[in-house]
Amino acid sequence: MSDKKIWHVIALSLILVMLTAACAPEPVVETVIVPEEVEVEKEVAPTMKACFIYVGPIGDYGWTHAHNEGRLYVEEQFDWLETAYAESVVEADVDRFLDRFVVEEACDVVFTTSFGFMDGTLAAAQKYPDTLFFHCSGFMRAPNLGNYMADFYQVYYLNGLMAGALSQTGKIGYVGAHPIPEVVRHINAFTLGVQEVNPDATVDVRWLFSWYDPAAAREASEALIAAGVDTLAFTEDSPAVVEVGQEYTEAGTPIYTFSHYSPMGDFGPDSAVSGQLVDWGIIYEDVLMKAYLGVYDNSNLQDIDYWYLMREGGAILGARFDEPINPIFEDDLKAVTVTDAFLGEISVYDLIFTRIDQMKDPAMLFDPFSGPIYDQDGNLMIEAGQRASYGELLSIDWFVEGNIGSIPR
Amino acid sequence: MNGFPALEVEKRRTVPRWLQFIAPIISLVLALVAIGIIFQALGIDPLFAYEEIFNGAFGSSYGFSETVVKSIPLMLTGIGLTLAFRARFWNIGAEGQLLIGATCATGLALAFPDWPRWLIMPLMFIIGFIGGALWGIIPALLKARWRVDEVITSLMLVYIASNLVNYLVYGPWKGPEEMGFPYTSKFSEAAQLPRLSWTRIHYPTLIIGIVIAVVIYLLLTRTKWGYEIRVTGENPSAARYAGMSYLKTLLLVMIISGGLAGLAGVGEVAGIHFRLRYPEGISPGYGFTAIIVAWLARLNPIGAVLTSLLLGGLLVGGDAIQISLGLPGATIFVFNGTILLFVLGGDLFARYRIRVKSKTEG
Repeated sequence: MSDKKIWHVIALSLILVMLTAACAPEPVVETVIVPEEVEVEKEVAPTMKACFIYVGPIGDYGWTHAHNEGRLYVEEQFDWLETAYAESVVEADVDRFLDRFVVEEACDVVFTTSFGFMDGTLAAAQKYPDTLFFHCSGFMRAPNLGNYMADFYQVYYLNGLMAGALSQTGKIGYVGAHPIPEVVRHINAFTLGVQEVNPDATVDVRWLFSWYDPAAAREASEALIAAGVDTLAFTEDSPAVVEVGQEYTEAGTPIYTFSHYSPMGDFGPDSAVSGQLVDWGIIYEDVLMKAYLGVYDNSNLQDIDYWYLMREGGAILGARFDEPINPIFEDDLKAVTVTDAFLGEISVYDLIFTRIDQMKDPAMLFDPFSGPIYDQDGNLMIEAGQRASYGELLSIDWFVEGNIGSIPR
Repeated sequence: MNGFPALEVEKRRTVPRWLQFIAPIISLVLALVAIGIIFQALGIDPLFAYEEIFNGAFGSSYGFSETVVKSIPLMLTGIGLTLAFRARFWNIGAEGQLLIGATCATGLALAFPDWPRWLIMPLMFIIGFIGGALWGIIPALLKARWRVDEVITSLMLVYIASNLVNYLVYGPWKGPEEMGFPYTSKFSEAAQLPRLSWTRIHYPTLIIGIVIAVVIYLLLTRTKWGYEIRVTGENPSAARYAGMSYLKTLLLVMIISGGLAGLAGVGEVAGIHFRLRYPEGISPGYGFTAIIVAWLARLNPIGAVLTSLLLGGLLVGGDAIQISLGLPGATIFVFNGTILLFVLGGDLFARYRIRVKSKTEG
């Protein structure tokens, strides 16, 4: 064949290909045809299998590690329970793991523990109506898909109180993972705490666009310190920020840090003031017990939203379990006082424990997101006497006054 | 002198055909043996492990369908890379070209949600191709004009593409109904590729991939231009003396190579996700895995169709490493890395021979 002819053939075949794409049938309302292997017996069985899909490695010492601790806890609690998990699941691949867990591993309940798994989890819930799904930190719903979250915003507020009291420069830094509502909410709560103690202090933010990136977290911390920051809180699944704080502190520049997710106190004995700890185990325990007893089935998860805060025991204050505040900072926190409209003059240390009691009260006597709250531009976002609703907290996309960072738009 | 016989690496004058064919197979087998030793060290019978991996990828209709799903982006990207590598242009940035393709198609789908399928779908593929191609010719231009190393530039462009996607999904393209999450709105039904029955195989993209493999094969073997690519790759100065334009050849190669990666990106957003999300959510490194696809195929575009299935199977079967064998998730990276190392090594031994030189000779 001559060159010209070949090009003709090529052009023709390309047009054909385009036509295939163009003429493909319009999608019909999805009829779920499930392969044969799916016919797994799903009667009220004496045993139950719960499967977990993790976004990071279980050794990340952060988010995934904490979820895995929860899995190990329930496995120990219930002798009728069997568990399986997959770690480091790339978000683009979650559908495959969901299929595999349902079809081949015959899981009764599947937990997906990253907001990026949300689309896939919803699709799987529709594809496999007999399996129960629980997605962590999202908002999509189905009769067999529930939502759960142990949220830290109250703990971040308490950390903010400490940061406001301890910071010498009045410049406080926050290393943020992804600019999504969850992280924005935490940064806001932290800033509210800072501002309550020191209205002149500012919180600056550096984004990583990653959940797990110790190198980037280290870089961001050092950049913030170079900009005059002496106190750091963060959302990232490694102790990198605490380690940076410890290094600087040892070198003679005290940097106060707040541990995130796992007990990172040992990484910063002189730097980590406090932090946020989580107990996923109690949520998994509750979900699985109810699923086992038939309280939860594939028709009633539509409105199930676990939202565990300090009151429920899902969120815990401290850089170590059973140690809410690193003792070496106690005196400093007792030395700073604030004047509260109801409590009068009170030391920050006492204020923290008062707030804990209030937030743990069944009536939740205090919540950080109580108005009046202004955004960065001075607009009144939450009116005096109001509290942010669950819906508002779940979709919050603005920073409070006192925060000098920005949310990518 | 030192008492050891000297080893000398010398180029083979001609590489016999059988060796070209058998080298990647031997490499693959040796890689599997090496990985088998790792399995053994971890206390797992390697044969059992391979059986689990094989069954996971090819043993059930479900597993096989997922293997095909994985192979689609690897195939398209891999075919493009065979072309680039034949011209000895080390395009390491297919991942970025894929992301740009996905981005362009998303832009179109979001801008015209009312357009019917027969119009929007081909246009999405075309604009995805153009986007990937434009991203691909940047390193080609830099190389041809200023001799900037394409390994660096094409790789760096991946990060730029990735940050561009981040910017868009966190910023201007964030869907208003997505509650602040970094997702664009979902594509209209017309902009979603149809799937084969209950599987996730978006078959139009698969058909495009296979047709293009044949087309590129014909291009390479039957046209003057295919000949020019080979000459340019093997001996740039000879090509120049023969009056071939280095710039023109390189540009055309990278338009196709980048464009095909762009098509792969279109397939992922239009066939799997139906929206753009942050880069890790779109591609778990297809652009990099496709490098293995191209090399395993001995830079043969039709071969790339087969090796993309193999690599897709490896990725899908790799799930079994975690779930059935209980090994850490990172094991699959060791797996892939080992295979690439052996395949590249095998290529070296196919093109060069090692001679033991006795001392007296030197």
